[in-house]
Amino acid sequence: MNCRRAKSVCCRLGFALFLPLFAFLAQSAAARPQQQTAKEELLALPGEVGHPGGRLVVALRGEPKTLNPLIAADTRSREVIGVMQADLIHIDRATQLTEPALAKSWKISSDGLTYTLVLRQGIKFSDGQPLDAEDVLFTFRVYLDENVHAPQRDLLIIGGKPILVRKQDAETVVFQLAKTYAVGERLFDGLAVLPKHLLEKPYQEGKLGQIGTLTTAANLWAGLGPFRMKEYVAGQRLVLERNPYYWKTDAKGNRLPYLDELVFLFVPNADAQVLKFQSGETDVISQLGAENFSVLSRQPHGYSMTDSGPGLEYNFLFFNLNDAGEKTPPEMQRKQKWFRELQFRQAVSAAVDREAIVRLVYQGRGVPLWGPVTPADRRWINSSIGHPARSVARARALLKEAGFSWTGGASGDSALIDADGKPVEFSILTSSSNADRGKMATLIQDDLKQLGMHVQVVPLEFRSLLERVTQSKEYDACVLGLVGFDTDANADLDMFLSTGGTHFWNPSQAHPATAWEAEIDRLMEQQLAEPSYEHRKKIYDRVQEILAENQPMIFLASPDILVGAKNVIGNFHPAVLEPYILWNVEQLYRKSAPESAAR
Amino acid sequence: MKDPRSFKSWLIVLIVIHTVVACAGFFAPYDPIEQDRKNPYVPPMRLHLVDAQGYFHMRPIVYPLKLREGSFDEYEEDRAQPEPLKFFVSGARYRLLGFLPSRLHLFGVEGSRIYLLGSDAYGRDQFSRLLFGGQVSLLAGLLGAGMTLIIGLCIGAIAGYYGGWRDDVLMRVAELFLALPWLYLLFALRAFLPLAVNPLQAFFLIVVVIGAVAWARPARLIRAVVLSAKERDFVRAARGFGATDLYLLRRHILPEAMSVLLTQAAMLIPQYVLAEMTLSFLGLGVPEPVPSWGNLLSSLQQYSVLVSYWWMYLPALAMVPFFLGYLGLASALQERREAYKIERRSLGSLM
Amino acid sequence: MRYLLRRLGHAFVLLIGVSLLTFLFATLAPGNYFDEMRLNPQIAPEAVAALRAQYELDRPLPARYVAWLNSTIHGEMGFSFAYNSPVAPILISRARNTLMLTITATLLAWGIALPLGVWSAERLGRLPDRLLSWGTALLLVIPDLALVLGLLVFAVKTGWFPPGGMVSIDFENFTLMQRVRDLALHIVLPVVALVLSVLPLLVRHVRAAVADVLGAPFLLAAQGHGIRGRTLLYRYALPAAANPLISLFGFSVGTLLSGSLLVEVVMSWPGLGPLLLESILSRDVYVVIGGVLLSTLFLVGGNLLADFLLYWADPRIRRESSAR
Repeated sequence: MNCRRAKSVCCRLGFALFLPLFAFLAQSAAARPQQQTAKEELLALPGEVGHPGGRLVVALRGEPKTLNPLIAADTRSREVIGVMQADLIHIDRATQLTEPALAKSWKISSDGLTYTLVLRQGIKFSDGQPLDAEDVLFTFRVYLDENVHAPQRDLLIIGGKPILVRKQDAETVVFQLAKTYAVGERLFDGLAVLPKHLLEKPYQEGKLGQIGTLTTAANLWAGLGPFRMKEYVAGQRLVLERNPYYWKTDAKGNRLPYLDELVFLFVPNADAQVLKFQSGETDVISQLGAENFSVLSRQPHGYSMTDSGPGLEYNFLFFNLNDAGEKTPPEMQRKQKWFRELQFRQAVSAAVDREAIVRLVYQGRGVPLWGPVTPADRRWINSSIGHPARSVARARALLKEAGFSWTGGASGDSALIDADGKPVEFSILTSSSNADRGKMATLIQDDLKQLGMHVQVVPLEFRSLLERVTQSKEYDACVLGLVGFDTDANADLDMFLSTGGTHFWNPSQAHPATAWEAEIDRLMEQQLAEPSYEHRKKIYDRVQEILAENQPMIFLASPDILVGAKNVIGNFHPAVLEPYILWNVEQLYRKSAPESAAR
Repeated sequence: MKDPRSFKSWLIVLIVIHTVVACAGFFAPYDPIEQDRKNPYVPPMRLHLVDAQGYFHMRPIVYPLKLREGSFDEYEEDRAQPEPLKFFVSGARYRLLGFLPSRLHLFGVEGSRIYLLGSDAYGRDQFSRLLFGGQVSLLAGLLGAGMTLIIGLCIGAIAGYYGGWRDDVLMRVAELFLALPWLYLLFALRAFLPLAVNPLQAFFLIVVVIGAVAWARPARLIRAVVLSAKERDFVRAARGFGATDLYLLRRHILPEAMSVLLTQAAMLIPQYVLAEMTLSFLGLGVPEPVPSWGNLLSSLQQYSVLVSYWWMYLPALAMVPFFLGYLGLASALQERREAYKIERRSLGSLM
Repeated sequence: MRYLLRRLGHAFVLLIGVSLLTFLFATLAPGNYFDEMRLNPQIAPEAVAALRAQYELDRPLPARYVAWLNSTIHGEMGFSFAYNSPVAPILISRARNTLMLTITATLLAWGIALPLGVWSAERLGRLPDRLLSWGTALLLVIPDLALVLGLLVFAVKTGWFPPGGMVSIDFENFTLMQRVRDLALHIVLPVVALVLSVLPLLVRHVRAAVADVLGAPFLLAAQGHGIRGRTLLYRYALPAAANPLISLFGFSVGTLLSGSLLVEVVMSWPGLGPLLLESILSRDVYVVIGGVLLSTLFLVGGNLLADFLLYWADPRIRRESSAR
């Protein structure tokens, strides 16, 4: 133990002495620190070897709010943080399996409650300071601290208790769970390891929320990711530069990343992004809608467009199944009587033209869905669930069985009436900023008209929509979408569990409202603790079946992941998991002579 | 000097346009909500007089369009099946002027659909949507202008006729309303109000919102007219004979204001139609699937549509005759009143 | 003088009233900025509640209004949830962009409208005048929306102008000349759109005002004295026609901030318009209030300017107000 500590002290002294020289060399474009010091344990990545130099320009759908993982709640901040930070265990977006990152190896105890991770040695932060177990301890202490309100805290509460973290030695950290968790190691993906030497003081002063903003000086912020902060121009762009201490190399031992600079341009809307990509201002583009993809594919100048197949996004229509008991207004009670009728929901599902949705909304670049798991998730999708074709006749038969009937037809269209003779009319909420879901709602409106239902489409601003669906519960039906962030059964717990916030038809329940929801709760708990993949798959298959039988959400379609990149970008392998194109940013390189980053 | 009767010719133009729009059901071949999912984004169809074999037809013919192999939105004419254009056909049901049920349409084809101005993302006929959309937009403009003028008339008349503290208070309030940046407030108001579930409710909400905020300018104009009319000899004489205030207002003073009202109406209506269009364009107006002129253009906000489907732009040009008619009418009315002075801050612009 | 001071005081009261009105509106709307965070399963409800409390969304209305007034006096104008910073700097930078656009367009429009209107009034009723009338009528009749969209399509199809935005990505690295050129290229189309939408009405009013004056006897008398041509028009006729034009000018100044919303939104010009629209839709209340207030300031200021100018330029008004 003492030897190691003395060694690390020597290392630190040595680094401190050589740091200024090192930093200076790292700055100049010519000299690139290729050699590793003998003590660094770097990760060698397989795959194509590129050459260094050049700059990549990426558009961001707005400005990130912060670079601090502890307060980042919006997707833009997370995108940027993703290339500036690193985690202990990482999920490879291409294989969708976990692989060692900052932790070079780990062991799981036989009872599944203890994870022992061994850190790589000799790794440094982007400011040259070394990484050791103290940083990891500090990181998790801060994540779990209630006063910090870190968004990551919830993830680290397993079985009702926070994970216990302790240090075994300078390179080994032990994580203790209160309950077996089936995918414990996947938990670590995305949890950035923070620099204790920079954050400890603000933490003790309670000022953690105020550091790591975009305007923080570049030398006051550090991370373990492939890029570090260089420059921020408000309202225009964020420029990151290569992290000379990055701990990955390519197959030949060259230190990654290849690129000298990564520039995030703030481009507020999708169309402007298309324009910038077309004119060559940006080098890559992702999260494209099908129509823009077609426009770009028509006359590609120096770039190629790729349709990577279905992603993890699933769109659905759901009804208000909340139970407010006595407080429900009579209008709502009447409508909920229809919504609660299983055959009503089955009829709606039978009448929805999913094929038209894929064709008209996604221009064929998508797949129809009958469950929340998309074909992209090959390991977990239940392929035996039926995909019944659209049939208005079957829908009508179902409605008849449920006690509905049709009027003769006042103005030529017969209207659907319920058992009490009241016409079936309701509204579907949709987000005004999402054109695709608005289109789906319009198509569904027309489909349901053929059943005699009179449906209004109400576009609402997204925040108001959320408020209605999750807080005031004043709505009839809604079209929304969710994106799974991982291809694992645990990725969408919030939607499956009756206590979850995205269990939209009846969120955050104190007790499960129906028997089948209780069953799903039980099954999901069971698979959480189940170590074997086969058993988990059986349980998860059963959960998908229950959803298909009861149709609380009528699943519609999933769009393909559509991306594009200039032909000079090498190692471009888009993934179907976020981040779609930057997941391997350290391996991206420019094939032609690199543009000089410095002007 | 322009012919003083020229305003009548503009009036006729406007009446024709409004009639066509009011009878949209007859002039349009299809129901504007009817989707045709096999034909999204169809370009405008061409009318031919000579068919593929070289025969001349008395009736124009149309070739149905079918999708090119393997593409999503490229169409070509199916020369094998010419469809003659028929007049006075029976088609979708509608209610003429809102109450007369009918199935008669001016023109149409049997067997397939004719798209004079192309189709939109759901295969709905843009020409039909243009006509029916006109109903919504024009009605919003007319009702909104009516509301503004009624409010402006009342307030202006009271302020001008009675004067004193009433005048002061009302004019201060008018200044407040004039000082606000209207477009912003319009959006804020519309966005902050509960977004109604019903297109009808949404429509009336827009009308009220547009109409109720811009009464200040007409009110000031009316006030000016009333002020000057009040002092005229014949009014004084009538008062001397014992006429009540109301009688004076009704019989003597308001007719003076009539021409101002008419001119204002001719200027306000197109502005209000534009306001409704802007609201609908930005998504705060009449919701799907009801067409309105603003709705028709809102898909152009997407770059892909702007670049690939040029016919979606045509409704913008088709509205030009409408604005032209009102402009002509307003100019003619203005020129008719030789003594009309441009009031200090009335510039006829909503913003 | 007292007249002017009174107008000033007036304007101030107006501003307070407007701020109250907008504050009421904005804060009474349902929904608030933090609802989106609830959708994120990784953020606990306590974190959202903590943020809400931090931004003081839970205090009663009057307290919040007073707090906002206080913050405005200190130059901050409240706090923006979306941008995580005080409102004033955001507003100022965006307003600057808008002004860049509108001042250029206004100067250009007036620069064209004045000579054109005068020239047309001179030849009243004859062919050139009629042609101009038709031209302005055509422009008036095409809806603004169609105009801006059309220009965008033009930019995209020809590629001569960048389709939207204000500067290119490398703006910071350009030399001064390159920067000027880049900005100029980006500003052309929005300015054209604005000028085209404002020009026809301006020309008509200048023409009407000058035409009104041209028949006046004092002009005949001046002509009799041997004054003619440009001197006659610009030094005798125009000042007499100035009254309605000064009001018009005040109006132009007033709408410097609020008149370009549509153009900015469609052409992605990063000005006040898109900021306000986005803030309205995302319930970033203090930005909305600040923005509306700023625009109102300009509107009121424009009117005041017109009043001042009229007072200075027209001796009749000076006499009138001192007689009160």
